[in-house]
Amino acid sequence: MDQPLSMKLASLSLISQHKLEKILDQCGSKADLIIDPSLIKPLEKICGVSWLRHHGIEKIYKMDPQLGPTANTIRVYLIPACIKKYKCVLDQISSLLSQNPSLTDAKCFNIIITPKVISMFDSILENRGLYDVVKLHSFTWELMYLDDQLLSLELPFLYKQLFVEQNHSLLSSISMSLWSLFHVTGRPKCILSLGKLSASVLDILEVYNESYSRDFISPEFSRDFGALILMDRDQDYASSLLTPATYSGLLSEIFDISCGRLEMNGNDTKLKRGKLNFTTSEGKSSKPTVINLDSSIDNLYGEIKHRHFSEVLSVLSSKAKLLKNEDIKALGIQEMKEYVATKLQQVTLFKQNLVNHVLVSETIISEMNNKFENLTLTESEMLNNRNKKSNFTFVDENFGTDIHIYNSLRLMCLLSLTQGLSYEEYNSLVSKYLLAFGYKFLYVFNNLIKAGLLVQPSSPKLTLSNLGNLSERLPKWQNEFQTIANKLKQLPSKSDDGKSPSYVFNGGYVPLVAVICNALLSSESLPDVLTKLSALSDLKVGGAVIEKLKDGIGTLNEKLANMNLQSDLDFGCRDAKTLLKTMKGDKLNCFNLKPRTILVYVIGGVTYAEIAACNVIQTVTCSKIIIASDCIVSGSDLMAANT
Amino acid sequence: MADDDYWNTSETKAKAFSFDDDVLSPQEILAIGQKSYPGQTENAFSSTVSTKANLLPLSSLVSPKVLDLIVLAQSGKDPKEKPESDQTVAVTLKRLILGRSFTLHSHRSLKSKTELLDGAIAIGDGNAILTVVLFLIQTLNKKLVYELLTLRPLALNHYISFLQVEGKITDLTDLLTMLGRSPEAAVYQFQHIVKTQGDSVDGLLRKLNNLVSNHFNQPGVDTHQTKMVSDYIKLLEWQKCANKTELNNKSTLHCLSYCCTHHWHEGAGNMMSPLTLCQRQQVTPLQYDWVVLNVHANSNKWDIVESLFTKKDWLGRTTVSSHIPMETLLWRLSELSASKQMLATCLNKIQNSEDRLRLAQKYKSRKTLVHGCK
Repeated sequence: MDQPLSMKLASLSLISQHKLEKILDQCGSKADLIIDPSLIKPLEKICGVSWLRHHGIEKIYKMDPQLGPTANTIRVYLIPACIKKYKCVLDQISSLLSQNPSLTDAKCFNIIITPKVISMFDSILENRGLYDVVKLHSFTWELMYLDDQLLSLELPFLYKQLFVEQNHSLLSSISMSLWSLFHVTGRPKCILSLGKLSASVLDILEVYNESYSRDFISPEFSRDFGALILMDRDQDYASSLLTPATYSGLLSEIFDISCGRLEMNGNDTKLKRGKLNFTTSEGKSSKPTVINLDSSIDNLYGEIKHRHFSEVLSVLSSKAKLLKNEDIKALGIQEMKEYVATKLQQVTLFKQNLVNHVLVSETIISEMNNKFENLTLTESEMLNNRNKKSNFTFVDENFGTDIHIYNSLRLMCLLSLTQGLSYEEYNSLVSKYLLAFGYKFLYVFNNLIKAGLLVQPSSPKLTLSNLGNLSERLPKWQNEFQTIANKLKQLPSKSDDGKSPSYVFNGGYVPLVAVICNALLSSESLPDVLTKLSALSDLKVGGAVIEKLKDGIGTLNEKLANMNLQSDLDFGCRDAKTLLKTMKGDKLNCFNLKPRTILVYVIGGVTYAEIAACNVIQTVTCSKIIIASDCIVSGSDLMAANT
Repeated sequence: MADDDYWNTSETKAKAFSFDDDVLSPQEILAIGQKSYPGQTENAFSSTVSTKANLLPLSSLVSPKVLDLIVLAQSGKDPKEKPESDQTVAVTLKRLILGRSFTLHSHRSLKSKTELLDGAIAIGDGNAILTVVLFLIQTLNKKLVYELLTLRPLALNHYISFLQVEGKITDLTDLLTMLGRSPEAAVYQFQHIVKTQGDSVDGLLRKLNNLVSNHFNQPGVDTHQTKMVSDYIKLLEWQKCANKTELNNKSTLHCLSYCCTHHWHEGAGNMMSPLTLCQRQQVTPLQYDWVVLNVHANSNKWDIVESLFTKKDWLGRTTVSSHIPMETLLWRLSELSASKQMLATCLNKIQNSEDRLRLAQKYKSRKTLVHGCK
């Protein structure tokens, strides 16, 4: 049963399909599917229309509050776990019931909620008198294999809920995605977690493991994954705020991408849309160009996705030359026939891809050309805590002129996290932003502060109460950001051998995930890894590597009984610092690691730049790194989640 | 690896890649890619063909028993007919996390409730945390619940988020006020108002005026935030007077660009005059210049742009004066396809001759180049 890992991962969609099938089985035949528009693309990754037809769905409608009567009595709604959308569906059902009370007992209403039904939904149902009238189903689809070595849950609303609203109700769906994945691949021997949410995901995963342990599941450890690294998005915000220099990174800055599908609509781009509009002319809507960012469909994309953008057009040019040389006029009739039968389709597809990549590259150039250099230069100065004054001037000028609803905020956040903002500087930016986009956005800054993207400076008024913290407001030689980044060697010096993962940010910064992967892949033992990563304060370790250190109490019941307030549960993982001490005392030499394949899972969205950086590490260390997340994001997506 | 050369040399789109003779220009590549072969039909192969590579059969992925288990876990159904009668904290929490049916009502003592809350927090499952918090709200008096929440920020955050999503803004304000966090309550109220009032100027004015007098003028609220809300009210009052639906609840700069387009010649003091709006909302000179430049250049009123941004010095030479930094101004002017004359005037303003030449090259100003070579 040992198939290649990539095949296994691509086939996860079949498990999702099976899960959906079991739900539809309970809904009855001859049903109408009413689907939230945001779920159409993810659903296409799982099944097609004919599959749905085959499983009892007759008609498909887009969810719309004004939706009138549909063809069949049985309705199956499919919506994301969002209270507003949920209530909207319940309103619709209530109004149908008031028109036709006989439907109450017909058991004809089903709502499928992805990724899961939270208990608040049950209470709301009960509260509205719809319990037993409407049936709720959880649909927790598996990780989707978007591209070679890239998995995503495609739940773009998760970042907002987890980090901005700080509501962790759906966190268990991440645990469940790992739980089912490990049924296919086996469990990794070593798990590193970084951040509070990651630790909780492991604790919940352990609850699943304990509750669903069955004799028939062999506790055998994975041949597929040697290690798992789990990280919260807020542990490395810099990697999502910086401007990427790679092709795929820049694509995600400029175009809308969902489920690995990029859509280009004429001149419309994410950059243009976020700026002040001084013209009244509407953009012409033309047929969108679609590019599948999947190297198994488009191998040209596979070749250029991780490249520094400056190299992309020369690669495309060399491909074009190859095509040009392929002169079919020189072929004989028979050869021609064979060509048409075998190669023509391939060549046509290749040409189409080539044209599309040139078109999007041209858009990238026209949008970024004038800004890229100054922007990345300023970002790099911020990272290294140099020239704070001129960095602020750069940002302030940007806010005063060519301001962007998301990207300008992003610059402000980066400056705040790396060098800090004084009370006056902070307010100067806030005022300009609100003048440009409206005072209604005042709350956005509070959200950014809550999410940890912005640090609010205290008012400079000297009162007795804050005299004590005066020292905190004096300029520091090095901020916390630089201290940690330097310890982890994330800020490369100028003399670089050209093989550093920092190229993804134009040489400015090595993403934290790449640092952790590198530490794991280049260390002899677990203590070795932990020593290298000792600058990280929220690091924890789980998996079989620490099994031997378990101190007797194992089950959840015992753990909970022995717990006191504000202490960590240490159920699914253990604190790295204390662990390191224990292991040093023990002098056990049984923690040989040497994983060859690593699964990296970022909670709250991973960026294309991070993916490219990990690709460098895997090449250098001759290993394999699979990236997973709940979503593939760009910096502007994170900002949008705060508005 | 960092190849800055590319960005430096790519002055214009058409010329961007011609620095290397071996590399085809985008246009050349497009020409090759778009050339069709005989017999090729339009639309025959769209790029959306998703012939997904062959997948493994489900049975070789996981065993049927495991597959059943995965479906069971998703549904949250109980594998056993009768759930455990034992209602310990751990059992209840586990059922909550697994999505199985549960009853919290057997947990009646404060000790048991507290253990439930702490257990949920320790595991970190938000669904469990929120469910327990809401159970506490139902069964304990507010004072006790708030005491428990004060010491448990994670649980408190879940409750705050719940109240916010449910629009229970009065409860949220009470809670935060009791915890001594009324400045935060003010912002939550503000957010609630802007999200529920839509673009109704009257509704917003009424609600925001109340909000300022009741919450933003309290001690502890950041003075700049209070100022911003007051400025919001001032803008809404202006919009009320202006009485144009397309301006309702639009940003200051949006309104300013409207005034620049339709009321450019009205003098200061007049309601719709751009100057009046600028003074009222304290638009910075930089932002003012930016809006004026863009509005007039977009409607091809270059005479206005010129009269605003250039003046004659005492020798009779034309020079540029603007709050927009020269490089940004140049870039924008060229994007808006300003005249060569205008660009040259801007370039002359640049003191540093190296910068001047570099930018002249970038924006193809022959005049400046010739001048600079002298």
